[in-house]
Amino acid sequence: MSADQQTSIPDLPEALASANLGERSVSLNIDAELYPLQAVYGAAYIFIDRCYVFVDRPEAGKFRVTLAAKEGVEEVEALRSLVGEFANELISCAWRHQVTQDNRVAVETVTVQAIAGAMGEPSLDDLADFDFTDEALDDPLGIAQSWEEKHGRKEPKAEADAEAEGGASA
Amino acid sequence: MKPISLVQIKPKAGTQAFFRWRQIGDDAILVTNLEGNWLILTEDEFTAYARGEVAPDSDLHGRLDEKNFLRASYDVQAASERVKARRYFVHGGPLLHVMVVTLRCNETCVYCHASRANMDAVHTDMTPEIARKAVDVALSSTNGFVTIEFQGGEPLVNFPVVKEIIEYATERNKEIKKRLEFTMVSNFALLTEEKLQYLLDNKVQLCTSIDGPEEVHNAQRKLPQTHNAYQAAARWIKRVNEAYIERGLDPSLYHVEALLTTTKKTLDYHEEVVDTYVKLGCNTIFLRPIDPFGFAERARLRLEYPRSKYLEFYRKSVDYMIELNKQGVQILERYAAIFLTKILRGEDPNFLDNRNPAGAGIGQIAYSYDGNIYSCDEGRMLAATGDETFKIGTVDSAYRQVVGHETVRAMAIATNLDQQPDCVNCAYNPYCGTNAAYNYKAQGSIFGRMRDNNVCAVHKGIQDYLFEKLAENDPETMQIFERWTTIRPREHFVQDPTQSED
Repeated sequence: MSADQQTSIPDLPEALASANLGERSVSLNIDAELYPLQAVYGAAYIFIDRCYVFVDRPEAGKFRVTLAAKEGVEEVEALRSLVGEFANELISCAWRHQVTQDNRVAVETVTVQAIAGAMGEPSLDDLADFDFTDEALDDPLGIAQSWEEKHGRKEPKAEADAEAEGGASA
Repeated sequence: MKPISLVQIKPKAGTQAFFRWRQIGDDAILVTNLEGNWLILTEDEFTAYARGEVAPDSDLHGRLDEKNFLRASYDVQAASERVKARRYFVHGGPLLHVMVVTLRCNETCVYCHASRANMDAVHTDMTPEIARKAVDVALSSTNGFVTIEFQGGEPLVNFPVVKEIIEYATERNKEIKKRLEFTMVSNFALLTEEKLQYLLDNKVQLCTSIDGPEEVHNAQRKLPQTHNAYQAAARWIKRVNEAYIERGLDPSLYHVEALLTTTKKTLDYHEEVVDTYVKLGCNTIFLRPIDPFGFAERARLRLEYPRSKYLEFYRKSVDYMIELNKQGVQILERYAAIFLTKILRGEDPNFLDNRNPAGAGIGQIAYSYDGNIYSCDEGRMLAATGDETFKIGTVDSAYRQVVGHETVRAMAIATNLDQQPDCVNCAYNPYCGTNAAYNYKAQGSIFGRMRDNNVCAVHKGIQDYLFEKLAENDPETMQIFERWTTIRPREHFVQDPTQSED
């Protein structure tokens, strides 16, 4: 980023937000104790049609969100509007995160009733197709595996088996 | 309005049961509870209640007790019955099935671009095969009530498919036996006596659009130069209403309903709008603000307005309607009737965009001309601009897959006010609703942000107005409001599944 075009944003504290006119971008520093990461993701996602969005952690206890406008943002005032809208969305997401946790049972109960009421009882064909296993999901890429499971040192027996298989195919 | 000061009131938890509050006047504070009971208190009364210092032998204590606002005597059974009655629709399943039989339209409305096509775009006509499949999905609904609404474009442009749907659905319903109804939203310009008689024979409820007096209507809804959109609609409103009488139907119950789309131009014409509806014999006006679906950005700048301006227009219009009612004229505002039914009767009229959770997918489904199915009409309009976010299947999909679609689940959660910041604390929570497709279009997520959300501003503003009227407690106005909330079923429009064509 070209630091010479870095500038503060009118009415916003420099420690919280700064703009880079050359890059048409704005960066916000977010206190990780005040905002849950889920809220940061939720707010950031809203902007991906208008901006390239980068989330990183410049230091412990801080998130930094950089919004680089895809088009149409040439002035500090427009960047101020972008950062202001992000800040409002972040507050909204953070509070909704809390409210959803508080009222989770009520929300889930209503949703289950609404969907079950609209779907009705399953037919025999539906039941025949239903997956009754307790496998939550297929994981062909091993995303749900730990690093040790995926890449760690294998047990001696597994290594021996692997060598035997390799030897047999050679 | 001078705001009350909580610092001076010093509220503390004590004898109160759960409540929400909102100041609606200098000395009027509305309190509502979980199940939607409400009281309007003076500042002194509110202070006593908020401090938990209501004397047990006082008049206020009796009023609070009667409406279930006190912790010690809180009637859980009564509260749960009230909540159940208010939210009876939750497990009901899709009732409204919007069928877009064509995108072609003979009129060019200034606020409608993306959801219409020119008259030569015959490829946007629904085929009979898709129509029959759409009916099959609709009649698979778990709801015992099914309303098929013909929309477009202009549905009269593809009248053969309208007939196909009516006849196929009626035939299939002989076996399925739903309470089946048909409605059509049309500009009437292509109506003929022959088509009218067919629609009346088949009990199709007819609805049109009137955007105000002739000058305003024609400025917004353009026919080719040789035609007058207002005169075309007005002539057929008169004719349809006459035809209802010819068939022995009560004209106070059976008449053409009309919808208004409020643009910037409409805001200066509140009296003229109401007078136009009265003159045309329409007993109902739905003062709908413009929505952001389907029109181009440059049109938005010309047509849009701050919602504070809309609310001024709304207040003046409804004030004028109340005055006319006092003079014996029967005219009702639909938004007010929806909210008042919830407020005064503790019932929900099941208006799908204003309920909790909203009706997308679980209360309504929209079938596009090409066989794609969307969670709601707004979702279909967004798809016309290339955004398929709200597509939940096609007419070849199994019904359970359509309504069980993950988008439907997400919208049911997003429009549940118990997860919505602001709504959880709002005094109007028991009577309100939000629209996920609107939130998505206007604010980028199906959740939206209520503090700067136009639908929220309109809902809050209308309820502020209505509760101010309820606080005034003018006996004549109260009588009018009671009448506005009296629902008279229109049984004539229900198809008789036992009726044979033979």
